[in-house]
Amino acid sequence: MPSGALVLLILRVLRSGPLHGYAVAQRIHSLSSEVLRVEEGALYPALQRILLKGWVTAEWGISETNRQVRFYRLTPAGRKQLESELSDYGRVHQAIQAVLRTA
Amino acid sequence: MNEFFRRLRYLLNRRRFDRELAGDLEIHREMAAGEHRHFGHTLQIREEAREAWGWTWIDRLSQDLRYAFRLLRKSPGFTVAAVLILSIGIGVNIAAFGFFNLMVLRPLPVRDPATLVRFQRLSPKGYASVLPYPEMAFFRERTTTLSAVLAFNPSTIRLEQEQRPLKAQFVTANFFTELGATAQLGRLLEPSRDDANGADPVVVLSYALWQSQFGADPSIAGRTIRLNDKPVTVVGVASPEFSGLSLDSQELWLPIAQHPYFVNGSKLLTDYSVEGSGVTVWGRLRPGLTPKAAEGELRSLAAALRAEHPNDIWENESLPGTPGAYATSAINQGHHGTGTKDPNPMIPVAGLAGALVLLILAAACCNLGSLVLARGVARAREIAIRAAIGAGRGRLVRQLFTESLLLGILGSVAGLGLGYVVLRSLMAVSGTPAWMNPAPDWRVIVFAIALGILAAILFGLAPAFQVVRQRNRATLVRQILIGAQVAASCVLLIVAALLVRTLNRASGDPGFAYRQVVSINPSLGEHGYSPAKARAYIDTVESRLRSVPGVDLVSSASTPPLGNKTVTIGLKSAGRLIQIHPNGVEPSYFQTMRIPLLRGRNLMRGDADAVVVSQSLAALGWPGEDPLGKQLDLDDRRFTVVGISANARVAQPEDRDSTEAYFLANAADMPSMVVLVRTSGRPEQLALTLASIAKAADPAIVPDVQLMNASFQQRLRGPQYSALSVSLLAFVALFLACLGIVGLVAYAVSQRTKEIAIRMALGAKPPHVFAIVILQFARPVVVGLLVGLAGAVALSTILRQVLFGTGSLDPVAYLGAIGIFTATVVLASLFPASRALRVDPMRALRND
Repeated sequence: MPSGALVLLILRVLRSGPLHGYAVAQRIHSLSSEVLRVEEGALYPALQRILLKGWVTAEWGISETNRQVRFYRLTPAGRKQLESELSDYGRVHQAIQAVLRTA
Repeated sequence: MNEFFRRLRYLLNRRRFDRELAGDLEIHREMAAGEHRHFGHTLQIREEAREAWGWTWIDRLSQDLRYAFRLLRKSPGFTVAAVLILSIGIGVNIAAFGFFNLMVLRPLPVRDPATLVRFQRLSPKGYASVLPYPEMAFFRERTTTLSAVLAFNPSTIRLEQEQRPLKAQFVTANFFTELGATAQLGRLLEPSRDDANGADPVVVLSYALWQSQFGADPSIAGRTIRLNDKPVTVVGVASPEFSGLSLDSQELWLPIAQHPYFVNGSKLLTDYSVEGSGVTVWGRLRPGLTPKAAEGELRSLAAALRAEHPNDIWENESLPGTPGAYATSAINQGHHGTGTKDPNPMIPVAGLAGALVLLILAAACCNLGSLVLARGVARAREIAIRAAIGAGRGRLVRQLFTESLLLGILGSVAGLGLGYVVLRSLMAVSGTPAWMNPAPDWRVIVFAIALGILAAILFGLAPAFQVVRQRNRATLVRQILIGAQVAASCVLLIVAALLVRTLNRASGDPGFAYRQVVSINPSLGEHGYSPAKARAYIDTVESRLRSVPGVDLVSSASTPPLGNKTVTIGLKSAGRLIQIHPNGVEPSYFQTMRIPLLRGRNLMRGDADAVVVSQSLAALGWPGEDPLGKQLDLDDRRFTVVGISANARVAQPEDRDSTEAYFLANAADMPSMVVLVRTSGRPEQLALTLASIAKAADPAIVPDVQLMNASFQQRLRGPQYSALSVSLLAFVALFLACLGIVGLVAYAVSQRTKEIAIRMALGAKPPHVFAIVILQFARPVVVGLLVGLAGAVALSTILRQVLFGTGSLDPVAYLGAIGIFTATVVLASLFPASRALRVDPMRALRND
C-alpha cells in the first residue's frame, strides 16, 4: 500500500474518534473486509510523521485490555487535510475510472 | 506550534517519546498475539519511526564524536602531533585575519562609529588628505547633513624643559564629547567652555603621559604646566581606552582654537594653503542620511566657498568621504599632490599575506592528510570488520570524517590561542596603541571554526574515502600529498627569498649617503613665517652651522630624504602618468647627500627655470632620447633639463622608481625647508650642539632634529618584519614538508623490506637499493617543485607591486630558495632511506 494512501486511511478511521495504534490497524483491516493489513513497520513510522505534521495528537487513555496506551486524536488541521485529500482522491479516482471504462 | 517546533520538542524529549513508542509497540504486540503471525523486529520499527522525527543524524553524530574522542585519547601521540600541526596552520591564519579584523573590520572604540565619515579633498587636478581649517569652519557653519564636524591637527609640543617633544593633537572642542570619551580624572574638553572666545588655555593628558611624566598624580587636574613655554591648566586625563581617531598614540590634546597661543605665528586657523598644515576632518552624519548626501552637500558648499576664495578652493573640488570609523581610515596619510592618487598599497599586500598564510594551512593539511592516511592503513582491519557487519560506505566515511572534524575543531581552539599569542607579540614589537585589543572577538572565533571545518575537509575527506574504499593506492595519494606540500613550501621559500633580497637591497644603498647626515626641520610654515623671513632664518642657521667644527657641508631641501611628507606631481608623458617627486633644493644638496651628477651640470644660483632629473625619470620621460635640454612642463611652468643625477630613493628605501625632479628652491619653498648637515665624524655627538644652534636663531621655534641614520633604520623596520615573518612561515612549511617526506620514505622502506632483502640477497649493491627507495618519491618532489615554481611566478603579479627594487623573477632569490629546499629535502630523506641499507636479508626474510 502506498504511504500516501496509508496516511489517508489512518486519518479517515480517526475521524470517528480517537483510537490507539492497534485499533487503527484493526479498524482498517475489518473495514476493508479483511483485505488490507497494516503492518506495524508501516503504521508506526506513518503515525510519527502525522504527529509531526500536527494532523493528530497523542493522549493517554486506557485500552479495552485495561492498559495505559496512547490514543491518537484527529486535530482540526488533520480534519482539513483529510477533506482535501479525500476530494483529491475522489477526483483522481473518477478520472482513472473514466479512463478504464472508455479506453 | 508549527512543524519545526514540534520537531524541536521531539529532539528535547526524545528519550520520553522513544519510551512511549516502545510502549505502544509492546501493547500492539500483546494485542496482536492471537493472530499467529510474524511480528516485525521491534527495534527496527522503532528506529524507522524515530527517523520520521529527523534527528537521527544528531544521535549518529554524538555516537561518532564519542567514538572519535575515545580513539584520539587512545593514541595521544598522533593526537598531539595532529593538533600541533593544525594549530600552526590555523594559528597563522588567525593571526593574519585578527590583524585584518583590527584594521578593517572592527570599528574604533568610539561612540556610534558607523555614522562617522572621514573627508578628504579631491579635484581633477589634485588631492589632499587634510583640509584648510577655514574651509572646515565654513562647512561646519553651514552643513545640514552633518550633526557635528570634528577636526584635528597633529603637532609636537615641548613640556617644561623636556628634550623629547611630545605628540600632541589640537582638536576641536567637541572631539571628546562626540566620540563618547570618558575622563580618567578631571574633565575632558567641552564645547561650551573651551570653544568660547577668550577661554583659558587648557590641556587634556593621555593616561600614559599622566603615568610616566606626572607619576599618576591624583591631584593633577587644575595644575598649571608649561607647554612651549606657555602656562596652561591641566583639566583632566583621558581614560586609557580612549583611541581618538588616529593610530599613533597621542600624549596630549589641546583645543584647536588655542593653536595660535601655543605655536608662535600660527596661521592654522586662517591659512588656506595646503602646504601649511591643514586639519584632518571627520563628520557625524545626521540619523538616516548617507555619506553620499553629505558629499553632495559639501561639494556645493565648496563651490560656494570657491566664489570667495578662487585661488584656494580647487575647481570642481569634491570631498569624498570614507564611512565608518575604522583603523584603516584613521591612518593619517599625510599626502597631497596633483594628479590621481596612488591606489591603496594595502590591497596587494593584504592579498599577498592572505595567499601566503593559506599556503601554510594547505601545507599543514597535506601533512596531516598523510598522517590520517597512514592511520587509516593501520586501521584497515577495523574498517573491514565494520563493513562486513553491515556498515555502509557512506556511514564509514562519515565516521572517519567525524574524527577529522574533531581534530579540526581541536586545532581551531589551539590555533586561536597561538594566533592570539602571535598577534599580541607582533603588536607589542611594532608598538601599536594600548587600546587595540588583540583578543579574538566573534568574527575571529567564527573564522577559526570555519577554518577548522575547512581544514578537516582538506585533510580528512580524501583519506576517508581512500581508506573506506580499501584500495591499496594509498601510496599514490601520499605522493600527491607530498607533492602539494613541496609546492606550498617552495612558493613560501621563494617569496621569503625575494623579500630578503628586497630587504638587502633596501638596506644597502638608497642612492644617497645618510650615515653622517643630521636633518633639522624647523617647520617654519607652521609658525607663520613669510618666505622672506624664512629665507633669512635658513641663511642664518646655515651660516652658523657651517662654522661649527666637525660640520662638513650644509644644505637644505623642501622634501628631504626620509622626511615625514611625500609630495607627488602627476605628469602625463607619452600617454602614461608618471608620479614625480619634486624637490626644491640648494645647489649644495647633491654634494651634501652624495648624490652623483651623471651628466650635464648642477643647478646654479638664479637658475629659476632649470631642473635636474633622476636617471629613472629621464628614462621614463624621454625614452630613447637625450633628455638634456628637453622641456618639462609642471604646474603651468616650463623647465629645461640641465642635468641628470643618479637615482636616490628618497621617499621609501624600498621605493621602486625614484623619479625625482630637483628645482632650485624658490620663495614658496622657503617656509617648508629642512636643513641638512653632513658631519665629518659621528653625527651623534654633534646633534645636541646643532640643535641648540638652530634653536638660538629663533627661541620660539624648537626644530625637530633627526639623525638620518636612525630615520633610515626606522624605515627599514617594515620590510624587516615582513621578510622575517615570511621566512618564518617558509621554514615552518619546509619543516612540515620534511616531516612528510621522512614519513613517506620510512613508510616506503617498511613496505618494501622484503623486496629489498631479496634484492640484497641476490647481490644488489647499496647504491642500487638506495636508488630504488629514493626514485619512488623523487617524482612527487620534482613535480611539487615545478608546481611551486609556477605558483611563485604566478604570485609575482602581486609581488611586483610589493617588492620595490627587486624584480619578481630575481634569479638569485629563486636559485637560493631552490638550493635551500633541495639540500633540506635530500638530508631529510637520507635518514630513513639509509635504513633500507641496514636491512638484514636473513632476518627480514625469516620474519614471514
